[in-house]
Amino acid sequence: MEIHRYEKIWLAGALLLIVGFIATVSYGAVGAGIEMINDEGGQVDSTALDEHPKFSEPGTYKTGPNEYDVYVIAKQFLYEPGTSEPIRVPANSRVTFHVTSADVIHGYEIVGTNANTMAVPGQVSTMTVEFNEPRKYGLLCNEYCGSAHHAMEGSIQVVPQSEWNETMVVN
Amino acid sequence: MATFVDRYPEEAKVVQATLVVSFISLGIGAFFGLIQALHRTNVLRVIDSVDYYTVLTGHGVLLALWFTIFFLVGLFTWAIVKGFDRPVPDIRLTWAWVGLMTTGAVLATTAILAGFVPEIPMSADVLYTFYAPLQAHPVFYIGTAMFIVGTWIAGADWFLAYRGWRQDNPDERIPLQAFMVLTTMIMWFVSTLGVAVSVVVFLIPWSLGIIDTVNPLLTRTLFWYFGHPVVYFWLMPAYLLWYTVLPKLAGGRLFSDPLARVVFVLFVLLSTPVGIHHQYLDPGIAEGFKFIAMTNTMFLLLPSLLTAFTVVASVEHGARQRGGEGYLRWLGALPWRDPAFAGMALAGLMFAAGGFSGMINAGMNINYLVHNTLWVPGHFHMTVGTAVALTMMAGTYWLLPQLTGKPVYSRPIGLLQVITWFVGMVFMSNAMHRGGLLGIPRRTAEPQYQNFDFVAAVGSIGEIRMQIALGGVLLFVSVVIFLFNVAATWADDRVDTPVDDTIPEPLSSSSGAPLVLDNLALWTGIAVVLVILAYTLPLAGIISDAGLFGGSRGFSVAFSLEWLVDATVAAVTNVSLDSLAGVAPVDAVVDSLQEVSR
Amino acid sequence: MPAESNTETGEVATPAGDGTGETGTPVPDTESIDDEGFVIGSGRSGVVRQLGHDDFDPVGTLVLIAIYMVIVGAMWIFMYFVEFLGGDLTVIG
Repeated sequence: MEIHRYEKIWLAGALLLIVGFIATVSYGAVGAGIEMINDEGGQVDSTALDEHPKFSEPGTYKTGPNEYDVYVIAKQFLYEPGTSEPIRVPANSRVTFHVTSADVIHGYEIVGTNANTMAVPGQVSTMTVEFNEPRKYGLLCNEYCGSAHHAMEGSIQVVPQSEWNETMVVN
Repeated sequence: MATFVDRYPEEAKVVQATLVVSFISLGIGAFFGLIQALHRTNVLRVIDSVDYYTVLTGHGVLLALWFTIFFLVGLFTWAIVKGFDRPVPDIRLTWAWVGLMTTGAVLATTAILAGFVPEIPMSADVLYTFYAPLQAHPVFYIGTAMFIVGTWIAGADWFLAYRGWRQDNPDERIPLQAFMVLTTMIMWFVSTLGVAVSVVVFLIPWSLGIIDTVNPLLTRTLFWYFGHPVVYFWLMPAYLLWYTVLPKLAGGRLFSDPLARVVFVLFVLLSTPVGIHHQYLDPGIAEGFKFIAMTNTMFLLLPSLLTAFTVVASVEHGARQRGGEGYLRWLGALPWRDPAFAGMALAGLMFAAGGFSGMINAGMNINYLVHNTLWVPGHFHMTVGTAVALTMMAGTYWLLPQLTGKPVYSRPIGLLQVITWFVGMVFMSNAMHRGGLLGIPRRTAEPQYQNFDFVAAVGSIGEIRMQIALGGVLLFVSVVIFLFNVAATWADDRVDTPVDDTIPEPLSSSSGAPLVLDNLALWTGIAVVLVILAYTLPLAGIISDAGLFGGSRGFSVAFSLEWLVDATVAAVTNVSLDSLAGVAPVDAVVDSLQEVSR
Repeated sequence: MPAESNTETGEVATPAGDGTGETGTPVPDTESIDDEGFVIGSGRSGVVRQLGHDDFDPVGTLVLIAIYMVIVGAMWIFMYFVEFLGGDLTVIG
């Protein structure tokens, strides 16, 4: 098959571009340590979250020095916790979110950041991030979940270590 | 000098009929788009935010499915008949699939539009992706299934035409346009299997109450098994026009027939085993499968990058034949006043930009930045919304005269129309991309929240909103002009030679293409193997984790009483009085009360 | 595909008064009825010369595509390393 010399040059350039993209993403995974949402969160019975050891009482759990788990239930049209009260985590901590849905598919996006996951009924998304400075983050649902989808929002309060106390954790 | 309608009057009627359905869908869908663009930017709100999602479902389904695919089946019928230069095997079969597809589309559209009328106990506000466990009325799923079965029969019709042609021409190369149709349909048969299983095995029985629950991750994965190839199903008609018609409009000839075939074969092979790249942020799917999907997706860039070269080279050939000189000055020698040429060329330019945001979407971990933000509709309004839609509209200016025997009503108006579309989309899509990077979500009636503000580093949120609103208005105006021009063409009188419909021979002809490229059975086999490799383990994992039928009952899109209680508690415990001034949640509660009361 | 359009140079319309290839960019009158009698002749009516397979090197295409590659490469680096990796809250597990 005859291919023009210029098109061969472009073919090589295109392959270089493709390999470059894959290499960049691989660097992000290995070099920068970014991990994808995956199947490690396991499954739950979305109709019996109140019988789950953690989702029955969602909120912040201390798991180690400066390490916390936050269990969040997304449902039409709020986060529990997150909407009626902010999710509270201390500054300079490593936090793993465990997010699931009690009804339909939702999104869980910490506004203006790279922390972003789907909340699928029956599945648990786990996502670990590090919070540094004390500040407030917005939280929104970015997957259409019903007629008041646009009202589904919340917040995360990163509390200064000095103000952090026992009442802010469940365990 | 007879054109298509003189030689194949029966087939021309079929194609005209599918274009009528396509353009009606375009008109309604574009009107919905205008309502959305003005509503979510808070420029003009003529509907309740609750009804926004009915409008959005209509916008997505009418434009992404009915407009594009009804145009596609018309174009492909034309290409098959013209390519093989023989009538369809049995015109009754052809009308049968047109009828089935149209019936299905009307049923599903009825279910969607019924969402506006509270008195009718029917709605389908589930958006174009219809993720379970949000549940639509069964008529929505049944209509969609009929539509898809209709496309299958259409494909069978074209393969029957191929068989008839092959019997008479055992040693000929498959004509290029027909080759493009057949390979695209192979991809479509392989990929629609996913959505067919999802709808027929799970969603229809579930919406009828025959089964109680579904596995939401399974139906979602089956949707995306189909949901990525469908974007190539939209794109292939545009590619067909870019490869075979655009060079001719530019005054040149296709640069390479063999490479065009290679590109379509690559799409058959790689379009389907990539759907998981829409699920990068889904739980329940291991990272390794996501990486495989990304690698396949990145290599799927190759046929499009090759297309960029071949098509631009063909256009350049036209410019040179028109006397163009220089490294870039030749661009000025192109027939920019021809709406068919200008529209397709601008569509191709927009696709180059949309291609870039698609590369970002394909990059696995960078998806955290853009997933489900306004960036994503920004991307696909450049691709399906311009590369495809504008090419289809521009192609109409060349195609319609062949189908009707009537010259285009006004070419200057046509030129104004394609330019308006391009300019409108520049405003809308660049603003959407930027808004997405700030975290503004897609698919929402009111991106105005109580707890936080979006922060723009460059420009402002207000400016982004204004660009979206302005773009939306321009795009709607463009559609109105287009529909006027098309209707006026239809109303015109027939003339002898309405358009130059000849397509010149490629510079590098099909005789140089390896024979194996025409071995459709081989490519189908490899495509199936690749799909099995990419999907067996993820699907097995999803089913073994949560069961074939999962545990999710159907949920209405409307408010539940439980939500009202929760929301009231939340309001009492948290929301201060002044935040109520933001009226939106109050409206929502009032709406929900009405919803519950009926 | 039909080969009916393999027109020879002599058949090609060359609108009078327009510049030819030697001077750069002619502006053909695409609105006219071309000499083949078509109401609309987009393309062929403006063709002033025939370039065969061996007469044509797509050098302009190579230039355009090289520009595109540079833009895409630079934008990718900006998006990945500035917008994404430079952003807040990286998911590390």
